Amino acid sequence: MESILQMPIRIIKEQELVIGPLAWDEAKKVAGLTIDQPHNSVSFSNSFSGDKKDAINRLVAQYERLFGRASQEVCRESVQDLIAEMSPEEIPSSLR
Amino acid sequence: MSNNNKPVSPAEYKKITEELYKQNLELARLYKQVDSLNTELQESIKQRESLVHLVTHKVKGSFTRSKYIFAGILDGTFGETSPEIKKRAEQGLESDNMGIETVDLVLSVANMQKGVVKYDMKEIDLREIVLKTIAEKRGPAEFKGLKIETDIKEDTYNVLGDAFWLKEAINNLIENSTKYTREGKIIIGLEKKPARNASHSDARPHDSQQRVGQAGGDGKVVFSVKDTGIGIGEEDKKNLFTEGGRGKDSVKVNVDSTGYGLYSVKLIVDAHKGKVFEESEGVEKGSTFFIELPLV
Repeated sequence: MESILQMPIRIIKEQELVIGPLAWDEAKKVAGLTIDQPHNSVSFSNSFSGDKKDAINRLVAQYERLFGRASQEVCRESVQDLIAEMSPEEIPSSLR
Repeated sequence: MSNNNKPVSPAEYKKITEELYKQNLELARLYKQVDSLNTELQESIKQRESLVHLVTHKVKGSFTRSKYIFAGILDGTFGETSPEIKKRAEQGLESDNMGIETVDLVLSVANMQKGVVKYDMKEIDLREIVLKTIAEKRGPAEFKGLKIETDIKEDTYNVLGDAFWLKEAINNLIENSTKYTREGKIIIGLEKKPARNASHSDARPHDSQQRVGQAGGDGKVVFSVKDTGIGIGEEDKKNLFTEGGRGKDSVKVNVDSTGYGLYSVKLIVDAHKGKVFEESEGVEKGSTFFIELPLV
């Protein structure tokens, strides 16, 4: 599977370990992501015209707005193995 | 209005939220560490169990093979043998039997710890098991010069239990008393303790009033083995029912002590929702072991 497709669920699951179900509630507010919490799945919305990287940046920002820099670090740690396999231009700016 | 009632500003709120997030993050990281250590521990336990099984099966196999060689010498399979060789073969056979018993004990404990021992719980009269075990153990005790006395009234002592494993536990306590008593006697008792508020003035076979009285609750059946043996020091009492917990002086009297006997008794009694405990006034003052089980 394309690395970027795995990023949203990784980030949400990692945030869930820290803040619990609130991680899902916050992710639902992010434009460009379709959240299916009962099935533990997240996908990029087809109807959304924006870039996948933008959707991930918004997800990271959503957590950072509420919980500060520490939450951004958590997002980064959760996908570090995926980032290692991606070219620099593929990586969302918030995770660089 | 006091400072405590001042509304929290958005900036303060954010600061508090961020601080809480950091604390949660710390907890989440600790949780991950504990989880990882737990996984490692489970893995080590599995490896240890598999090693115990491998070693014990190999050892048991070796004992069993040499047992049949000794048995063959004794029953004439290998032709006529001198009395001296027969005597040595008898010693070898006895030693192998003890070895097999020890391996079986270690294996049983490992299986009980893993929870793979399935107890066939039925309503049984503990008196029958106790009397049967006494009949088997009287010979070896009297051979050693010990007197076996009983204090068991005609009655039914019904408990819910697995007859095989309860017999193992009772057998172990009587055998222990025989091993750790150089001279004197062993008194085996069985009594019913009807109910929490029943009078404690009834005659009891041993000095168990205080401990048995503490148990309280519904009716109990109390099995006891009192001896005039080496007794138990305060330090040894702490490790008595633990895995590998041998008494400081026990190996001087019983060189074959494995430290698994009383531990296995505890595992069996625990599985029967009972209690096992001891009383001893100290070294060389004898001891009494009790098994207390719920009366049906």
